[in-house]
Formats: sequence, C-alpha cells, structure tokens
Amino acid sequence: MKPNPHIGPTSSSHKNIPPLDLGRRQFLLQSATGMGVAALSTIFPTKGFAANSDGLPGVPHFAPKAKRVIFLFQSGGPSQMDLFDPKPQMEEYFDQEIPDSVRMGQRITTMTSGQKRFPVAPSMFKFQQHGNSGQWLSELLPHTSTIADKICIVKSMVTQAINHDPAMTFFQTGSQISGRPSIGAWASYGLGKENEDLPAFVAMTSRGKGGVQPLADRLWGSGFLPTTHQGVKFRGSSDPVLYLNDPAGISRDVKREMLSNLGALNGKRLDAVGDPEIATRIAQYELAFRMQASVPALTDLTTESQYILELYGPDVTKPGSYASQCLLARRLIERGVRFVQLFHIGWDQHGNLPKDIRNQCHDTDQPSAALVNDLAARGLLDETLVVWGGEFGRTTYCQGELNRDKYGRDHHPRCFSVWMAGGGVKPGISYGKTDDFSYNIVENPVEVHDLHATMLHLLGIDHKRLTFRVQGRDHRLTDVHGRVVKELLA
Amino acid sequence: MSSLIRLLLFFVAAQLATLCHLSAEEPVDFNRDVQPILASHCIECHGPDSAARKGDLRLDLGDGLGDDRGGYRILAPGQPEASELVARITHADPESRMPPPEFAKKTPLKQQEIETLRRWITEGGEYAPHWAYVHSRRPPLPKVSNESWPRNAIDNFILSRLEKSDIRPSFEADKATLIRRATLALTGLPPSIDEVDSFIADDSADAFEKVVDRLLSSPRCGLHMALAWLDAARYSDSSGYQADWERYQWPWRDWVVDAFNRNMPFDQFTVEQLAGDMLPNATIAQQIATGFNRNHRINDEGGSLDAEFEVEYVVDRVDTTATVWLGLSAGCARCHDHKYDPLSQKEFYGLYAYFNNVPEKGIDGRIGAAKPFVEISNERSVVELEKRKAHLTELEKTVEAGDGPETRGKVQIANLKKEIKWLERHTKGMAMIMQELPTRRPTYLLKRGDYQQPDKSEDIPPSLPVVFKRTSATENSPRDRLELAQWIVGPDNPLTARVTVNRLWQHHFGVGIVRTSEDFGTRGERPSHPELLDWLATEFTRVSWDLKAMHRLILTSATFRQASKVDVKIAALDPMNRLLARAPRMRLSGIAIRDQALSVAGLLSERQGGQSVKVYQPSGLWEELSFGSGKTTLDFYEQDHGENLYRRSLYTFWKRTVAPPQLSIFDGGGREACRVRSDTTNTPMQALNLQNDVTFIEAARHLAQRMIREGGQTLSSQITYGWRLALGRKPNTDELEVLIYAATKHRETYANSKKDALKLLSNGESSRDDSIPSHEHAALTVVALTLLNLDEAITLE
Repeated sequence: MKPNPHIGPTSSSHKNIPPLDLGRRQFLLQSATGMGVAALSTIFPTKGFAANSDGLPGVPHFAPKAKRVIFLFQSGGPSQMDLFDPKPQMEEYFDQEIPDSVRMGQRITTMTSGQKRFPVAPSMFKFQQHGNSGQWLSELLPHTSTIADKICIVKSMVTQAINHDPAMTFFQTGSQISGRPSIGAWASYGLGKENEDLPAFVAMTSRGKGGVQPLADRLWGSGFLPTTHQGVKFRGSSDPVLYLNDPAGISRDVKREMLSNLGALNGKRLDAVGDPEIATRIAQYELAFRMQASVPALTDLTTESQYILELYGPDVTKPGSYASQCLLARRLIERGVRFVQLFHIGWDQHGNLPKDIRNQCHDTDQPSAALVNDLAARGLLDETLVVWGGEFGRTTYCQGELNRDKYGRDHHPRCFSVWMAGGGVKPGISYGKTDDFSYNIVENPVEVHDLHATMLHLLGIDHKRLTFRVQGRDHRLTDVHGRVVKELLA
Repeated sequence: MSSLIRLLLFFVAAQLATLCHLSAEEPVDFNRDVQPILASHCIECHGPDSAARKGDLRLDLGDGLGDDRGGYRILAPGQPEASELVARITHADPESRMPPPEFAKKTPLKQQEIETLRRWITEGGEYAPHWAYVHSRRPPLPKVSNESWPRNAIDNFILSRLEKSDIRPSFEADKATLIRRATLALTGLPPSIDEVDSFIADDSADAFEKVVDRLLSSPRCGLHMALAWLDAARYSDSSGYQADWERYQWPWRDWVVDAFNRNMPFDQFTVEQLAGDMLPNATIAQQIATGFNRNHRINDEGGSLDAEFEVEYVVDRVDTTATVWLGLSAGCARCHDHKYDPLSQKEFYGLYAYFNNVPEKGIDGRIGAAKPFVEISNERSVVELEKRKAHLTELEKTVEAGDGPETRGKVQIANLKKEIKWLERHTKGMAMIMQELPTRRPTYLLKRGDYQQPDKSEDIPPSLPVVFKRTSATENSPRDRLELAQWIVGPDNPLTARVTVNRLWQHHFGVGIVRTSEDFGTRGERPSHPELLDWLATEFTRVSWDLKAMHRLILTSATFRQASKVDVKIAALDPMNRLLARAPRMRLSGIAIRDQALSVAGLLSERQGGQSVKVYQPSGLWEELSFGSGKTTLDFYEQDHGENLYRRSLYTFWKRTVAPPQLSIFDGGGREACRVRSDTTNTPMQALNLQNDVTFIEAARHLAQRMIREGGQTLSSQITYGWRLALGRKPNTDELEVLIYAATKHRETYANSKKDALKLLSNGESSRDDSIPSHEHAALTVVALTLLNLDEAITLE
C-alpha cells in the first residue's frame, strides 16, 4: 500500500498555508549554463534527505512481506521467566542453589560474581494460556494476552554480551563495538523512503519508573553509512524535531518571506556557479518549511478519536510517554516512514523486581497491545512488522535478598524472549525452548544476527547482499553470520 | 527519472573519467589494472586469510604460480591458453567457472576484466607489490603543453593528467573568493573586509603568497588544524560507553593546538604522541602528548569485567594508530587473518603487544580520568576562583551589615556560589597518559578476537607485520612502542608520509588523492594521481615533515587557485571533479559554520585553551538519555553563560553518547572511534538548524547591529556591509535588490508589531544596543539571518 495521500503531510496537513514561493520557477528551470537542473542532477549524485530516496537498485531483493517496521525496544533486559517463559519447576528449588549442571560455570557479571550463593528465585507471577493458540503469558501482561493469537513469541533468543552498553549496541547494530549502522539506518539505506517529506527512520525514547539505564545516540546512528540514514529523533517536547520551531519573534509570514528571498538568492547563485548542490539545498529548505507544518500535525494526537486514545491507555496524552509514542509510531507508519524505533528505558531490575516490573508493565503492556490491534484494525498489520524485546534476559538466581515476593535478577545473555507480530510473521506460535530454569536453550536457539536476518528478510532484503564497503570490507548488519529463521515466517 | 537510470548515467560518466582504464597501446600495469580485479573477485578465497583459503592457492602473491601442479600451471607467462587461471575464469561450465556461482551472482567477472587478465599474462603475467607498500620515489615533473599555467610542481601533475583527457583547467578565482577560501581553509574563520580589500588592492605578484603566510602564522591556524586531528584521535570530554562520565582530557587537546601552532615537525608530533612517555627525561608536555592513545572510550558500567575492556582499549589503539599513520584497517585481523591485506591474525597481535603494556584497568574513569594520568593546574580557573571567593566574602559582609538592597545581594551571592562551584570543578585538568609496565605483560592471540579465549601456548612479542619488514634493510622489528613510533616516521616505512599528505589534500580539496583516506590497502581506492602522491610524500620528508610548508605548497598552486564554477561539459566527464579542472565547492563543517557566524557577529571569543564549554543546546537532550538522576557528572546539562557561549567550537563540550546537536546535524560524527574522513550531507535538519537555533538568531541580531552601526547610513550600504562580512565579495545589483526589498518589508512588519521585534531581539543571552529602534534592528536581524543561511555562506567556493 502506498501511503494514504489524504493523510500525507504534503496535502491536508498544511492546506491553510499558502504555498512557499522560493523563486524556483524563475531561477531553477533553466540555468545560464544551458543545462536544466534536472539534467544536472542526473550527472551528480545528491547528498540530501531525498538522496537515495528510491533505495538501492535491486533492493528489495524479493517481494517483501513487510514494508515497514516498528521496533519496540525494551531497554534494560526484561525478565523472560516473569513475562513469557513460565517455569513452574523452579518452585521446587526456591532458595536452593542453582544446580551446577545448569550454570555450567558460565560467566556472570561482577554485580553478582561476588555473591556467596546463587539461589533460585521462582517467578511470583501466575501464567495462563490465552487465545486459540494457547500461548502462555504472565498475569503482568493482561493486554498482551489479548493479542496472543497475533504474536509469535521467540523464547530462545541468545546474545553475546552481558552488560548493557555492548548488548544494546549489538542488538541495534549487530556489533558490540560502536561505529556500525543501526538496523533502521540499514533499512533506510537499502529501501529508501516512501514519503519524501519525512525521514525514512525515526527514533523515540521514553522512560519508566525504575532501573534506569542510559542510552546513546549511536543506537539509532548511521555508523559508517551516510548520515542521511541516521534516525531522526522525535521528542516529547514542544519541539518534536530539533530546531523545528521558529524562534521567538519570527512569525510564519516573516519566515515565509525570508525563505522566499533566500531561495531567490540561492537560485541566482546556482545560476552563476552551476553547482547542483545548491538546487538540493533549495529543495531541503522547502522540505524543512513543509516539515514545520507537517510534523506538528503529525505529532498532534488530539485529532485521534476518543476510542483510539482509550485503546492506548491514560498515558497517551502525556507527551513523551511510551503510550503516546506507540500511537505516534502508527501515525508515522501510515505516512510511509520506513522504520520507527522506540526505546523504553527501565527494565533493569536488579533489586526489587516484582515491584519494578509491575510499574514497567503498567506503562508498556496496554500501549504495545493497542498498537498491534490498532494496526490490525486498519489493515496495516499485514505489512508492518512489530518487534518487542530487550538486549538480554535476566538470571534464574537471585541478586540480593530473596523472598517469595521480593527478589532481584542480574543480566542473563544465554536466553531471553522477544515477540513479533504482523508483516509476514507466523501468528500465535512460540518458538524455541529453554531448560527448566530458563537458563540455557535446549531447542532452536536464535542469535541476534538471526533475528536481524529474519527482519531484513521480511523487508524483502537478503541480509548477505545488503552491504557497504568500508576499509576494503563489504560490511553487513549480520557480519558473517545470520540465518533467516524460516520457522517464524507465515 | 528513475534512480537506476540516474545511477547508470553516473557510472557511465564515472567510467569516462575513470583513472584506470586501459587504452590499446598502453601496457598492462599490475597495480593499476590487474590487482583491483584480483582483489574484488579472487582474494577472498585465494588470499591472505589462511582459514578461508581454497584449493591451496594464493593470488595475492605471485610466488609459485608458474609451478607445475600436476600437469597444469596457474600462470604460464606469455601463454594465457596454458594458464589454468584463464581456463577457469572462462570455463564453459558455470559450476567449474571462477568465481563460483554464489560470488558470480553478486559480482560477475566482466568480459573486459577477463581480457585484461589475458593481456596481462600475454605480456608476462608479472606481479608487483601493492603500490602503497613500495617506497615512494620522487617522480620527474611531467611535461605539459600549457607551460605558463603551473605555479609549482603540483600543477604539472594535475595539468598533465587533464591534458591527457583534453580538458583545460579553470581560470583563477576572483580575489575575494580566493582570500575567503584560503582564510576559511587555514583558520576556519572568514576574512575581515579590510583583509579582502587590501588583498584586492595588492597588485604585487606574490600578493596571495603573502596572505597565505599571514594565515599560516596566525594562532587561529593551529586551532583549525587541530580539528581533524581531534576526530582522528577520537578526542572527547566524556568517557563514552553507557554512563559516559566527564573526563578532563583537555590538556591533551591544548597540546595538539599548541603543537600545530608551533609547527612541530610531523615526525616529532608523531613520536611524542605515540611514545612521548618513553623519551629520555620525558617532559610533562611529552607525557601529555601520549594522551592520543588514551582518548579511546573507557567503560565503567556496573558489573562489567576488567579483562573484557582491557582488550577493547588495546584493540582501539592498534586500530587508530594503524588507520592514522598507515592507512591500514587492522581491526579485521583481530578475529581472523585479514581477508584482503597482508596482515595475519598473529601479526595483529604482534602490533597489539606494543600497546598492551599500560598499567590500566578495564573498568575505570569515574573521577575525570582513568589511570595512569597526570594532573595539570588550570591557572585561569584558579585565579578566577580566588577572585570570586574574595568577592563573595565581601558581599556576604555587606548583606549581613544590611547595607544595600538585600534581595539583589542574595541573588548575587547565589550566582557567585554557582560560579564558584563550577570553577572548583575545573581547577585542574587530568590528562591520561601512556606508561610502560616495568615487566612486559604477555600478549596472547585471542581466538575469534574473544578475550575469553587466549591462546596461552605462545607469548607474542611486539613485532611488525612481515609486509613491512620486507621493505626494511634490517629484518628486526621495533622492540617497543618508542621504537615503533620511530619506525613509523622512519625511512623504512612507506606509508606515513603518503597517508599524511593525502589527508592534507583531502582537507583542501574535499577528497584525497586516495579517496579512501582511511584505507591504503589492496581494497582501498587507487590514487587518482599516483605520481603526485609520491611527489608530495617525498617532498614532505624532504622539508623535514614541515606541515605548514606543505599547506603553503598546496594553497599557492594554480590548482588550488582555480575558480570553482562548474562547467557542465567537464562535469559530464568527471562528475566527482577528481581531475580538478576546477576548485571544489565544499560545504563548511558544522564547526566552521558556527564559528563563522559568531565571528561575523562580532561575538566570537578567541581565548584559547582550558576546559570545554557548554554552549546553547535544546533542553533535555542529555537528561533524556542519561540516568537522569545526577548519578554521573554528566546527567544534567548545565549550560554556561557569558564568554563561554561564544568560544570557538573546538572548545564545545563533547559528550560521546549525546553529540553536540548542531555539530552532529552537520555530519560531525560521534568521536566514538577514529575517523579520518567524513560525509557531507545536505538535509532539511541542517536547514532547520541554521534558521532556528538560538546560536544563529543571536549571531544574526549582532550582525544586524554591526550593519546598522558600522555599515553607513543607507540601507543599501548596511546590507552591502553585512553581505561582505558574511561572504567577502560585494553583492551584485540583483542580489542587493532582493535584500533591500526584504529589509523594507520586514521593517513594515516589525513596525506594526513591536512586541515581535523585541521578542526576536531577546534571543540569546547577550545584550543589545537599545539605541537602535527595535523594528529596524529586528528587520535587519532577519536579513542577517538570511545571509547566514545562504548556500554560499556555508560553502567554500
């Protein structure tokens, strides 16, 4: 589906604003050099937002199942055995040492490596089967439970890193070392844009009440790809995109007048020196002007019906909340943004996990489910891939004091759960199996590279063929690894 | 037009201008014609990587290819039909044909490439070592037809190549353009109107040379030159990784600026930064210089393991050092033999061993530095601190005594206390330095690059890769970091001079002679002008590594002095302007854009040195991504006030996890890892930044103030003055008309809305000249903002 022209920012969203006359007609159509700008631009590669707007030649490599992605990144490491991976057997081991046959001497962080004991902490939360699919979900996720038949839960994710920074960097860029492009940047580079007036890749961050772990802008960065592919951050402030608002004392009329004169002068210069980069600059100023109208219209959630606002829950009216960003993600997708990346901070529950995870689920459960339902109701879920998950899981053994209803968990890279929905994913299934302690994977491990390969596959991209040469090497998101997990595909 | 056609057209055009195509009469040159084919189609499976090697065949080296392999030879000199190489690439059966189907599908071998290989074998099939690993020899100056054009040797090389393609170079740029270009290129700031006028008035033959010499001796020059070095050295004011604590590494940054300003010879500059601590009786300054290899990120994340990050730091040092001086991508060999370049995994750990001997910890850095470091007193802060403390005591006495208005006194006291708190945090810099452990820490090869899998069967000593030793008269490797540094700038290393002059070229022409300035390896791009690169490299060592002399040489060439106007016919032949039939037109960096705006506004503070400063930035940027609780020293952004808002952008505080937004929008990179080449994009985010960032609004209102106070009585003269401040040249009638019309219109608008005028004039913290009528000031502020937003204003023409 092409983005709906009736909701695109180029039409209704700024219909009350007179068109911007930047003096193009006069100066741009034919320059004194005797060559039209259109012809010039066929010779010169452009470097702008719109550059590469059609993506790479030959990409997608095959018919995509998903045209867009919403990645709901849960930062900090959500606890798999309290949310998705029930382990009733652990009950018998309450406060007993985790068996050596399970731990197998694997490395642990220095936050718990000094502990004298590694006692098993069973989850205090009840699990039930839901929907026709009978997927098991924790009582912490009443709303996600309603979409049990729409999601595919991968219980056998495994990562290589044990601390947040390297693990998040790995999860977003396929490498623990900084400097690689994020997955959204790769998608933008390969597939280009559907909407010339908006970036292909948008990132948003929000935070919960506990277990705060910082983020870094490299997580939505373009690494060694041109910076046009980096995620543009949408913020919950009055300036939803950096520097979007006109400064105090410059009205829209003054701004339009100023840009009109600026365009005229830039046009004259283009005429004099013939550098097509000036034509691109003029186009970017026009786009920026349009964004000043279209982005506030896009981020204004008050135009949504009451029913929709209630669907996403009470936080939806708070700017910058996870709920508002889930709804915003839908609106971005509708307008053809290729990749929307959310980061919700707060899953790093080392101390009082039961209390903190309740808060965290309160913030995220309803909006996440609402997003899936909302997309489905609009017929968008089929072509939109939604991914929910964090950088690693949490330990079976307790960190700190252990009670039935109060315990903490350290980082655990050896198994964790994510879910996916829509965009060509097989709905209503669970994939992969962990042992009775949710400590090791016993069936069908899925590496982070495999998840990336699968996501790209759904976008119609062969992960082995989406490359960028740096220092003589053709780099890929999946390095030299990655397997498309066919079992997850519809 | 579809992007595919556009791309094709581009490639067709690029092919025409490409610098390595064969003509029928020219003999095949291995490095130019053959090696790139082997590198892109064969070397992955038949190259240096022993684990990936197929069929026991190496095609990156010529050794043994003529041997009998049981009835056939890979390469029979002069006899392509008898060469298995040709037989296999032309085999009728796709399963037997090379490259194998899965590679051929992605990048098939072209008919023309097959012909080249065939011709090469016909002509003898000789291998030559990779061009970059062969010592530069000073080539003779090429002959040119247009003998009057060259001003120095550079021009002979550029012109002879142009003449080969029947292209004529451009005319010299007009003087206003030329002086603006040179001034921005060497100092990062625009020339004053006086400087432009006196250059225009100077008819002497060496008028431009005089300008260049004046610029080179300005302290602004060293400061500007330091910028690219800071990017390469991944310098930052924070530690990076997750919590991203503040670090006080600025004494190293000041050392760099000072070294450039003193024109320290590049060999000394190198040795002091790589091993200043190991020099006999190393001075504090020489120790500070070694901060170069401590500028990498340092982790302190709770729960992280020392051993893991100790490895990361050493790897970063090898990577950075190899990229900056050798143009070598060493990092690949951390996990396995290099796929394309002659660097085995074991050799990587030989390099690693030079940098693996520092008394450091993997998890460190919360106190502003990680061991080892030296503390430097920040004299200025100490003086300012004492002054304020004295003032505070005095003020407190006055307020207590009930003299003077009480509330005002309390506000003053509160402000003073804030300043004192800030200054107390900045009375010292803590420069992290390199040091050697008394006994060498063993180095083990790490299987798959994993710190958890050291191969303890062998302690690998510090050693150079074989490819470099082969070029040496002596077979011995440097034994330690100091000897390595000396080797890097010594006569046995073919790379440092080339790699360095290439970066200078990149600085002035936007693209290096080797476009991939970070990679001089077999998969890097070949130089556009190989002889010129060699000539410049030999010249650099001939003048004893004198950087300013090299800048002078480049700037005073006829090549540099050309106009940048695009000729469409030439552009069709050479769309990337690699042949330099004109000067490039390059967008300024984010740093230069901001500094220029502050400079033309008269706001710029040129005070050099000291701790970094926190300039305007949209609120909440740090808080959104940090702990947000005050857990680290950089959770909250506390913007500075007064002079610190107007320092040169070199001094803008750089937090790694949240790069300064304006610099980042203009392709500033992240300072997370070594970077020697950057993109130049053209985006709507840049347009929004220049129009709406308070930095530029404030600069515009000060520029307007200057136009009104210094620009004469008429609107026309005031606008001309502002135009010249921003662009150097005078506006033509058309251009002037547009802005006079604009100013008149804006004046009407603001006369009708004084409130808006005052709002506009209150952007930024500096005060304004109240004697100027607000509507007039506001109107010219919009005009000034228009000037700062002109494409020409942010471009080196």
